[in-house]
Amino acid sequence: MTPRLDDLPLLDLSEVAAAIAEGRTTAVAATEACLARIEAWQPALNCFIAIDREGALAAAAARDAELARGYRRGPLHGVPLAHKDMFLRKGRVSTGGSLILRDAVAATTSTLMERLDGAGAVEVGRLNMSEFAAGPTGHNVHYGHCRNAFDRAHIAGGSSSGSGAAVAARLVYGALGSDTGASVRLPAAANGVVGLKPTYGRVTRHGAIARSWSLDHVGPIARTARDCALLLQVIAGPDPRDPTTSHRPVGDLLAPMEDTSLAGIRIGVPGDAIAGAIDPEVASALEASLRVLEKLGAGVRVVPLPDLTALFHVAETIIKCEAAAMHRPWLEARPQDYGKHVRLRIEAGFHIPATQYIDALRLRATMTERFLAETMAEVDLLHLPVLPIPVPTLEETDVDGAGGEAVVAVVGRITAFTRPFNLLGLPAVSVPCGFCRKGLPIAYQLVGRPFAEALLLRVVNAYQQATDHHRKVPVL
Amino acid sequence: MTERTPPSDAVVRALQDLDIPEARAVELAAEVERLNGTVRAEARSLTFGDEPAAHAAVLERGAS
Repeated sequence: MTPRLDDLPLLDLSEVAAAIAEGRTTAVAATEACLARIEAWQPALNCFIAIDREGALAAAAARDAELARGYRRGPLHGVPLAHKDMFLRKGRVSTGGSLILRDAVAATTSTLMERLDGAGAVEVGRLNMSEFAAGPTGHNVHYGHCRNAFDRAHIAGGSSSGSGAAVAARLVYGALGSDTGASVRLPAAANGVVGLKPTYGRVTRHGAIARSWSLDHVGPIARTARDCALLLQVIAGPDPRDPTTSHRPVGDLLAPMEDTSLAGIRIGVPGDAIAGAIDPEVASALEASLRVLEKLGAGVRVVPLPDLTALFHVAETIIKCEAAAMHRPWLEARPQDYGKHVRLRIEAGFHIPATQYIDALRLRATMTERFLAETMAEVDLLHLPVLPIPVPTLEETDVDGAGGEAVVAVVGRITAFTRPFNLLGLPAVSVPCGFCRKGLPIAYQLVGRPFAEALLLRVVNAYQQATDHHRKVPVL
Repeated sequence: MTERTPPSDAVVRALQDLDIPEARAVELAAEVERLNGTVRAEARSLTFGDEPAAHAAVLERGAS
């Protein structure tokens, strides 16, 4: 069936890709439909730092012409996407959400953009983000705060704020983000879409503006697990330009999704260990998601958790030291061009001894080994919250505003269950599982063993086949 | 926990050649002490042969 123009943005990524490939619509039609929706929503959400209408339509027309000649570049042929404004493209500015890089024109194109181009994607603009990917809320004093797709008074989550909000509002079919402590999973959770942080080394970081070389993970945000798999299939795999990428084969991420039974899958839960840290509304939605997973055949058992606060602090040590090193020249020359909270977040890194930084890096291996041997010994996946509280408001989390201890306390809770897995480098996915009384999304997190992205996505796909939380479309 | 005094922060500031107000330096000292304290405590489990590059190998070995 030929999709109506108004309905086009409501299709999933995989659906619109198939519609374009089969000639039921065109790349230009899909791009025009997204651009129209972007025009309507941008004043409310501020998802985009830049919208490239002409470039997107030209690229879409080129994809249609290729298709007319019988040439399909790949699985994303003609599909409109947009990404966190931190993936370099030669001759173009990527701001990293900062004033420092507002006019920085890239001399090279990131491997990620090359791979998406090679698969046929159309880029419609550059998405808002926390300054230099530092901050879990989506506040940005330079380009304006990005707002939650379901309620403009609430945070979009950061640092890939625009990616989460734009995908949820159906402005684009998918987006890339980067995750150093929560930054793919949190905006996905806050906006009711799926966000996958792959295993460290699964996806290249070449040409991605860094927050912390050791803990940055680039990953997809989309409405469904299937759409995330399509994106990940394109961007994953070894890259000679990023020596930290793994040479382990990626494998077929889509084929395993044909199996929607979870029989034999073992899911670990922390039991009462974290109960005190979880808001009752969130706890209730998490519990309901477990019941669905059980109904699909998964076995659920309580597993021991390590001290997540220790993992958090070790990760924080690494992030602060690496950020201090890379930002030092700009912090010395242009301190006034940083948002206050970003500067404050980096500063401690100058005062941590090198021995502590090196020990933090050494601990990654031993802590990961222990986690796999103890927490994951008898399970395939670990089930946790993403955000342990209902999505807070912009005001409640404005560290550059009135601030105060209440704000610091709220912001401090936001990444408690996500950052540890950046230290360990394990894959983790954020999955919508309900809405709080105020109408904001709630999500659960599944953490896997190294390189278990196919299993994670298969389980999330089965869950989404049995639920419809991800089908709720925000209204303007 | 013993209370830290400003002189040690002043030394660190001098080493880093950064201009930080005294009040902020005290805040930073507390933050750095918290992070260093955790790392030092956890690092007691490290052995001579534990090196940063081992993490990639752990991920490869730990794949199911």
